Amino acid sequence: MRIRKLIGRLFFYLLVACIVVYTVFPFYWAIVSSLKAGSGLFQVEFWPSNPAWDNYVGVFTGQPFGRNILNSVVVSVSVVVLSLFLAVTAAYSLGRIQFRGRGTLLMVVLSVSMFPQVAVLSGMFELIRWLGLYNNLVGLILSYMIFTLPFTVWVLTTFMRELPKELEEAAIVDGASPWVVITRVFLPLMGPALVTTGLLAFIAAWNEFLFALSFTLSNEMRTVPVAIALITGNSQFESPWGNIMAASVIVTVPLLVLVMIFQRKIVSGLTAGAVKG
Amino acid sequence: MADVTLRDVRKSFGGVEIIHGVDLDIRDNEFTVFVGPSGCGKSTLLRLIAGLEDITSGEMTIDGVRVNDLPPKERGISMVFQSYALYPHMTVYDNMAFGLKLANSGKDAINRKVREAAGTLQIESLLDRKPRDLSGGQRQRVAIGRAIVREPKVFLFDEPLSNLDAALRVQMRIELAKLKDDLNATMVYVTHDQVEAMTLADKIVVLRAGHVEQAGSPLELYHHPRNLFVAGFIGSPRMNLIETKVVSTDRDGATIQIPGGDTMTVPAQAAGLAHGAPVTLGIRPEHLVEADQGDTILDCTVFVVERLGGETYCHVRIADGQTLVLRTDGETTVRPGEPIRVGIPAAACHLFDRDGMALHRLQRHPLADQPLPRHAIA
Repeated sequence: MRIRKLIGRLFFYLLVACIVVYTVFPFYWAIVSSLKAGSGLFQVEFWPSNPAWDNYVGVFTGQPFGRNILNSVVVSVSVVVLSLFLAVTAAYSLGRIQFRGRGTLLMVVLSVSMFPQVAVLSGMFELIRWLGLYNNLVGLILSYMIFTLPFTVWVLTTFMRELPKELEEAAIVDGASPWVVITRVFLPLMGPALVTTGLLAFIAAWNEFLFALSFTLSNEMRTVPVAIALITGNSQFESPWGNIMAASVIVTVPLLVLVMIFQRKIVSGLTAGAVKG
Repeated sequence: MADVTLRDVRKSFGGVEIIHGVDLDIRDNEFTVFVGPSGCGKSTLLRLIAGLEDITSGEMTIDGVRVNDLPPKERGISMVFQSYALYPHMTVYDNMAFGLKLANSGKDAINRKVREAAGTLQIESLLDRKPRDLSGGQRQRVAIGRAIVREPKVFLFDEPLSNLDAALRVQMRIELAKLKDDLNATMVYVTHDQVEAMTLADKIVVLRAGHVEQAGSPLELYHHPRNLFVAGFIGSPRMNLIETKVVSTDRDGATIQIPGGDTMTVPAQAAGLAHGAPVTLGIRPEHLVEADQGDTILDCTVFVVERLGGETYCHVRIADGQTLVLRTDGETTVRPGEPIRVGIPAAACHLFDRDGMALHRLQRHPLADQPLPRHAIA
């Protein structure tokens, strides 16, 4: 019995180890590669013997990478803020108010997210041009909300629906308008859900490539995924792996930090135990 | 402070009428209790008064003002919910102060009112806690406190005690009765617990399927139920009902056939009932006597004995197979299977015609029409 238990435990940790290696190793390899210089890249080394920071410096000198990071931050933060604002207000009406066609509306919202980005790309391009938002960060913010809004609206609607109805009614009897109910009663209770959906929206916007590539033209307007893809070496036959790896590490760090900060909130958002009062 | 009147109030949800024309006068300072079985519309009626639902047709006034189209906050009401519905992220103080803050009361006024209400309810020491750190009884007090601070004209309670355990419920019931005298406000209270209704109410409104079956003082409903439904709903164990026939009627009441051969004259207005008309005889278990007393004596057989310690419920079978429940004292030695003689006092009997409507009793019960104090006023 004890041996079986021991073996079971062994397999469990073996599996955990496999998963950790599978998920973390590529990132580790990127860090190691980014610290190597020149032809050192092509030697298999698990620990760089003499780490060099040239690649990191090169990323910022070769292109306006600082500007690109700023663009990404502006776009992602705006997308998160706008999506959450629209989704919370939409969730209140979709989750709390009875009206005809509510189910249909929710389905339409969901069906928007069914279309692959490529399918809407050309139409979106025309729209962006027509609005005069080509090569403009606002154009990116607008287009990113196509894929962030459906799931933020859905998740928050579900969450809002599970908040006790009597809570809202108590607030109404206390004299609260719908806006006060949302901001002072529901929002504080929705913290975990907001963090979870907001973070997912941030990651989606931060990583987006296709729209960012299509709707921007100049180096100064690009976001980091595009900027990294377009990093060029000294000649067309050289891929500057060192720089690319350094840039990748730089843009991954903010996501890691955000997840670390909010990880406890994410867990409670997923279990939604915070509603019980 | 305020009368509440309902005139032919109706409410439909999606074409289905739930409340079928309710007329009701709730007088100033009166403690009115809505009772009825699940789904009878008692909570809906309360929510209509609160303004959480709009009435479909009819007329409703609070303190003389027509409130049909007024939102809850302008009706001068406050409500205590079954689940308490405290704001989980706020402290007890903020919970109670929320409504006042929204009404832009001054900071000092809010502070004074909240502390005053907390004092009344003895929850001063809890003001800085969050609802999740409170017990059920404490949450209930906070919910009541939140209602008090707004100084409403009408308090609405939606089954406020049903989430508490039995002991706490009795305690809160007593406190509510006392609170009612302290606050001097009109209160409307929904419950399915008839003990709560009987002990708290100045007026009980019995509802069934969206109709008011009867409204009156607790003892009026107990002694003069208007129909079979009210007779069965008020009182525990339920009133015994025996199907029988009229033999003759005169000024002293209706003489009816008793299963087993005897007849008995029940003092009720029976004019208009034909000889042989079917009637239902109603007699409460507590009015039956286990002895050779009473105006009629039935020979019965005991088949179940429920001993509660202080009292005993005997389920007995009469001659034609119908069953009765008889409440007797805890010392009785009856056993199942034994014969028993059950006396029926005619004065305590009720008669119902074939439509289930009560025949008026010839004498009003002396306690039915006068309000009695429940506790000494300090």
